[in-house]
Amino acid sequence: MDYQEAIGVKMIFRIFLFSSFAFLFELSAQVPISPSEVIPNADSDVGDQNTTIAIAPPPARSSEEKTIERAQEGLKSAEVGSRVGAAKLLGKYRSIKTSILLISALDDESALVRRAAMVSIAEHASNGFPVYDKALAEKIYSKLGDPDVEVRREVSTMIPRIISPMRRSGMELIEINGRKVYRSVSSAMRPDLYKMTQDAFLDKDAIVRQNVLKYHTYLSVPLPLLSLEKLLSDSDLGVLLTALDRISSSASQPRIVNRVKALSKHANKGIRLKVVAVARNANSYHSDYRGILREMTKDSDPEVLSMAAVELARFGERVPGKVVEQIKNFLLGVNGLSTQVTTILYTVSSLGVDGAEIYKALTEHSSSQIRAIAWQRFINLSGGWRDSSVWLPATKDPDPKVRKVVLNGLRGQSNNLSEKQLGVLVESGFSDVRIFAAQSLLDATQSTVESLGFDLLIDEDTIVRSTTIRAMSARRVPGWLTIMKRSLLDTDYVIQRSAMDGLLGDRKEGVPVLIDYISKNPQSRISNLAKIELSKIGVQP
Amino acid sequence: MRFIQSFLIILITFSSLVFSQSPSQSNEGSVRIVQLLRQENSTRRYPDALPSLLKMLNEQSNARFDTDPLFINTLTDERLLENPILYINCDEQPNLEFPQEERDALRRYMEQGGFIYLDAGIKASFLGQDLGHSYAAWEERPEVKELFSKILPEKTFIPLGRDHDLFRTFFTGLPKNKDLEIQTEQKRLPETVLSFVEREKWPQATYSFVGIKVKGRLACVASPICAMGWGRDEFGAWIPPISFRVRESAENFDQNLKLASFSGGTYEVTREDGLKDIIYSENGQRPLWVQEPNGKWRIFKYYSGEEISNYAHAFYSRLGMNVFLYALLN
Repeated sequence: MDYQEAIGVKMIFRIFLFSSFAFLFELSAQVPISPSEVIPNADSDVGDQNTTIAIAPPPARSSEEKTIERAQEGLKSAEVGSRVGAAKLLGKYRSIKTSILLISALDDESALVRRAAMVSIAEHASNGFPVYDKALAEKIYSKLGDPDVEVRREVSTMIPRIISPMRRSGMELIEINGRKVYRSVSSAMRPDLYKMTQDAFLDKDAIVRQNVLKYHTYLSVPLPLLSLEKLLSDSDLGVLLTALDRISSSASQPRIVNRVKALSKHANKGIRLKVVAVARNANSYHSDYRGILREMTKDSDPEVLSMAAVELARFGERVPGKVVEQIKNFLLGVNGLSTQVTTILYTVSSLGVDGAEIYKALTEHSSSQIRAIAWQRFINLSGGWRDSSVWLPATKDPDPKVRKVVLNGLRGQSNNLSEKQLGVLVESGFSDVRIFAAQSLLDATQSTVESLGFDLLIDEDTIVRSTTIRAMSARRVPGWLTIMKRSLLDTDYVIQRSAMDGLLGDRKEGVPVLIDYISKNPQSRISNLAKIELSKIGVQP
Repeated sequence: MRFIQSFLIILITFSSLVFSQSPSQSNEGSVRIVQLLRQENSTRRYPDALPSLLKMLNEQSNARFDTDPLFINTLTDERLLENPILYINCDEQPNLEFPQEERDALRRYMEQGGFIYLDAGIKASFLGQDLGHSYAAWEERPEVKELFSKILPEKTFIPLGRDHDLFRTFFTGLPKNKDLEIQTEQKRLPETVLSFVEREKWPQATYSFVGIKVKGRLACVASPICAMGWGRDEFGAWIPPISFRVRESAENFDQNLKLASFSGGTYEVTREDGLKDIIYSENGQRPLWVQEPNGKWRIFKYYSGEEISNYAHAFYSRLGMNVFLYALLN
């Protein structure tokens, strides 16, 4: 049996199956209407006491079976309007029967009916009731060749929802000369549908072309080189962007390289930015992609130019000084962070020393988000975490988030700040910087702690003071016990707590001071906590 | 006309600096939008939306906006008073209950010339917790009503007429093929969808907006969620995809939908004319159909796809740009 014959037999068998289905549904639809459908609601009285107006009860709704049965009749109507209405209504009822009815309406002579049926099938699928049967899915997909553009658009949009049943393999029962034969069903696409898909790559309608391009890999239908070449010259921007996403399998072909090269000068900036991304990804397939990127560093748009340059730098190429300057000027001129700017901003690192200079310039950008990234990157690239002359200016940034980024970076380092450096931090007008200064006392020289610690002890900010108390107790600076003792008398609980913790850390000298405080101030709030803490270390106050 | 508009926008851009007591907040003369995010670490619905819209504004008009919105988490943040426009996506807030001092700050802000855009400040009740849908109801959502009854007890939100200047501040009319950057002969939408959009959904590029005037000036507007239509990726493609809900009629629907099987609930939604539509919706499903006050029944059909999404994005972006430019001009 040749292929055509097998198809013929299979079709006959499917028609038989379909008719049996329809007959069964006819039978099942002939059930009595439930009592609730025929008994009208009780009359309602409205109005004042003197008048009683009987209003007609709302008409009883049909059962789902009855509704579908009526719609089925509607689909057979000679009136296009009735068939359209029936197809629209059937989208609201999800069942095998309604799916089959809608699929049968896809062959209606009226495009309006076919459109309505296709929209309803899509509605079923998006409501969690996709078609599972391979033959039915193929029937839907075959409408990719429908003469009506709206039907073709709808089908092409639905491809992801019908792929699964279309690619299902299994067994089927066919009848050949009256003999029932089981045969395997391949997961491959039917040749006629395969051909239709290949034609659809160059459909008259841009939306259909774009959808087929987007989904053809799911269907395992390869994109012919000639079609890809044509699509890379498409007049529609959406098609072009999608086609550029699909060059990977043909990226080494000179014809495709030439098309990409031509697109690198496209009037639309989005397309040129896409070309940068494509040339970067396809770099391993053809050496000319690197040349495209080099050429694009002369682009009239500074964003495109910058993207191309940083991609080249990622490949280890040296970017000319003039281009580096253009990248810097572009970043200095942007109004804030966007996805593209963020990408460029981060990849500037790959410019090495030049990148550090750009970041340095950006530390004065008006956008605080850009300044934060710039400071962090600049300090990293210039090895500045250990050089206070590099990072000290960042502590003067007016935005707390910028300072936070830098101070957090510094916290991970061992700084050993000099008295002069710490002095700058102590005099800062920002409490977060002074808190950092107080924390830095832990690493500072004894003389620095003695010299600057007292300034921090009288700071207006509670956290600065408490942090200083903790640092001084940890360093055991001369007179620290007196400081702790006085701090216990502070009215601020946070200060008292810091002093208590400091004293608890020294059993020999600190704990007796704490016990003395408790005996003299038994009602103090901190005394209660101190008693508990002392008992934990086995000391009874 | 476009020249005059552009000139006005330049003028206002500079004059808006007068509002700012600390221009350092904005980028060298550009206007900075303040965005309320009460929980900084909460999941953002459309993080790319506002920056993308502001970038489009910079590209397509002479106005200059800082594309970085300034986030504040409390309305008492002093930076609010330094910037003329406050954007609040109501769906991104944990709730719309504010303490007295924040309510006072909001009132002060409006009285001193600030403009508030409450995106998703309109939300039809049947949408429930579904944040991915907009629906053109013509009254503010209950939480917004409750909030503003405490802020401006003497005022109520009034629907903006279809002829309001806000809808034609810069862009006029619905997107045409040229605006959509598609071929002249290409169908921009399915016929039934285009017809509904032009006649009912967004006639002359208008939408359901309500607003409150303070000292004779429109100081606050609320709309169904529009931000979902503002985002673009780095190559200029729209994100995320948007679908359409369209009302459609057909022969005998007035009778058929009245009798068709239905087991869900009904919801009343206020229309532009103040009358109520009755929406029929089954639990967990998108609304099925609607009974309109004139006795007409129509079915809801749902359309998705590239052309639908592109059109919706173009519409919402043009509308969003009109709103922000209106805020500057007024």
